[in-house]
Amino acid sequence: MSKAAAPSAANSKGGDTISPQKIVILGVGNLLLSDEGIGVHVANELIKMNLPPEVTVVEGGTDGFGLLNIITEVNRLIVIDAVKGGGAPGSIYRFDINEVQSCPSGFKTSVHQIGILEVIDLSGLIGKTPRTTVIGVEPKSLEMGMELSHEIKAKIPKIIELIFEELKKYN
Amino acid sequence: MAKKITIDPITRIEGHLKIEVEIEGGKVKDAWSSGTMARGFEAMLIGKDPRDAPFVTSRFCGVCYSVHQITSVRALDVAFGAKVPWGGTLLRNLVMGAQYIYDHPLHFYQLSALDYIDIMAIAKYNGKDKDLLAVKDKIVGLVTAKDTYPLTPRYEPDAFSVNDPDTVIMAVKHYIDALKIHAKARNMGAIWGGRTPHYQNIVVGGVTSYPDINQVARFRTMLDEQARFVNEVYIPDVLLFGTGPLLPLAKAGIGGGHYNYLSYGALEKDPAGKNLVFPAGVITGLNLANIKVDHFDPDKITESVKYGWYKENKPVHPYNGEQVFDLDKKEAYSFVKAPRYDGKPMEVGPLARMLVAKNPTLLDLVGKGVKPGAVARHAARAIETKLVVDACYKWCDDLLDAMTKPGFKIHDTEHWDPPESGMGAGFYEAPRGALGHWIKIKNKKIENYQAVVPSTWNASPRCEKGVRGQYEEALIGAPVPDTENPINVVRIIRSFDPCLACAVHIIDPKTNEIRKFLIE
Repeated sequence: MSKAAAPSAANSKGGDTISPQKIVILGVGNLLLSDEGIGVHVANELIKMNLPPEVTVVEGGTDGFGLLNIITEVNRLIVIDAVKGGGAPGSIYRFDINEVQSCPSGFKTSVHQIGILEVIDLSGLIGKTPRTTVIGVEPKSLEMGMELSHEIKAKIPKIIELIFEELKKYN
Repeated sequence: MAKKITIDPITRIEGHLKIEVEIEGGKVKDAWSSGTMARGFEAMLIGKDPRDAPFVTSRFCGVCYSVHQITSVRALDVAFGAKVPWGGTLLRNLVMGAQYIYDHPLHFYQLSALDYIDIMAIAKYNGKDKDLLAVKDKIVGLVTAKDTYPLTPRYEPDAFSVNDPDTVIMAVKHYIDALKIHAKARNMGAIWGGRTPHYQNIVVGGVTSYPDINQVARFRTMLDEQARFVNEVYIPDVLLFGTGPLLPLAKAGIGGGHYNYLSYGALEKDPAGKNLVFPAGVITGLNLANIKVDHFDPDKITESVKYGWYKENKPVHPYNGEQVFDLDKKEAYSFVKAPRYDGKPMEVGPLARMLVAKNPTLLDLVGKGVKPGAVARHAARAIETKLVVDACYKWCDDLLDAMTKPGFKIHDTEHWDPPESGMGAGFYEAPRGALGHWIKIKNKKIENYQAVVPSTWNASPRCEKGVRGQYEEALIGAPVPDTENPINVVRIIRSFDPCLACAVHIIDPKTNEIRKFLIE
């Protein structure tokens, strides 16, 4: 992003442009559906913390295409989201996006929208795709509500610890 | 013998929509549109401070967040008795203008274009243009690697599909260009909104932060680039397709529907709000020879729940709407309610706005044989994008003029605190169409809240009189010669730019092996 560009589309700490090394921690999810909003809650916690200057935190809500401006400008992306992996509620997963298949094979029947993984895929068409790791949490409740369930809320420190491990690995 | 086919879900839209059609003699005989995801976020708002509503409603949807926010704020403006100063209106219009500019081209290229072109024709491109050859290499490379999402999977191209390699390769190049320009457009709103998604500057009474000259300059520079794309790529493409390869589809008028159109009106061009980029009005039973536009009367809106999974109730005005589910109701088939205006189903969105405005560019196309329907919807969307771009330039000028004068105001600070009691309706034109929020306040807290979203109008099921919704009616008569390949059905539905997201966004990997990544 050139200096003349707009403030980054970021709920970032302080500054208004993404820093040169461009590591983005992207928390996504729907804040109104309890544990679906885990990524948003984690992002809001991270924003309060002291982070290395090259790291920007973005709270992306449930946007898909709208996050292209972030995705195409970074080298390293860590996505925090709720993930349905079939494990017990509160299970934490860590995978790089090239390790999972997000594209449906049975187009006519599969439940599918244009989500964050697909938009990361698409970013390859207009530039480079950042190295992307997903830290996912198996939700307990997807009921309407702006609070996390206790089990999931209790996982936030562990998730943040894992994010810091990723940052260490990258440096 | 009629054959029933079900498309569930319709892909490349936002949200979950199921369409069932009955085919007889190669044509759609009857149709049912079902929103298959329960909504009802409004219930969360009851008992909250009214000023929370814009921020909570902006979380209804990851696509349409800013329009919910502004519509909610407009309902509060009315309920609080706030008078938004011209500076506040200008800044609201600029932040919302940006949304149109990134939303509409995205719909045409990323969500719709693939319905109209045979992308595999690219392999036959024999030209020498270096840029286009790079596109060919890229796409052919993806096909070879069997990694063509989201260009595929798709329904099979049909007689209406464009398969001339030169046209197709240009369209695909523009698909890629549109992605690049989209990524840039998203930053425009953040200049005023503080961030995106989920702007922070729009509040009851106006906006929260004063503009400076550098922001205006930055916005204009970015606007220049968007304007070039809209004027030199997007509009020419839509016109080229609409009056060229797609003219047979346009002349057939597929996807027409009830020919009733509604616009609430939005985007003020002057402080009194007399002139709007999108004028308000209602057209019933469109007569192209003599378009009659009636005055919009908010009291004529009702919602029927006869065919919705809601507790039975007679049609009520949204002020009195409720959200009590009844999943055992026998005749119900949708979570979408059935809004009606004066008892009639309405189409909302770009085509409705441009017809209500009697836009000369659209009427010129109509004169060339483009009947109101799927293709005309794409044309109207492109035409109005230019209207918004032009208006943004004007608003920048107006803002520079206003902000350098003494007494410049962006907020009505006298009306920041909630009234003891009150009610207000907020009306807006979202990119997808007429959006309304209704609020009732009691003891300074929200007593009731209802939102009627554009896709509720368009995707509505039948009402208590058994009259079909607009999607359903628009599908009647659509040619489906091959029931395995109902491409015209998805063309019609996607031409409305459905957005029924308003819900989950969970990562649901298509693998059973996700557990191997379990770390705790």
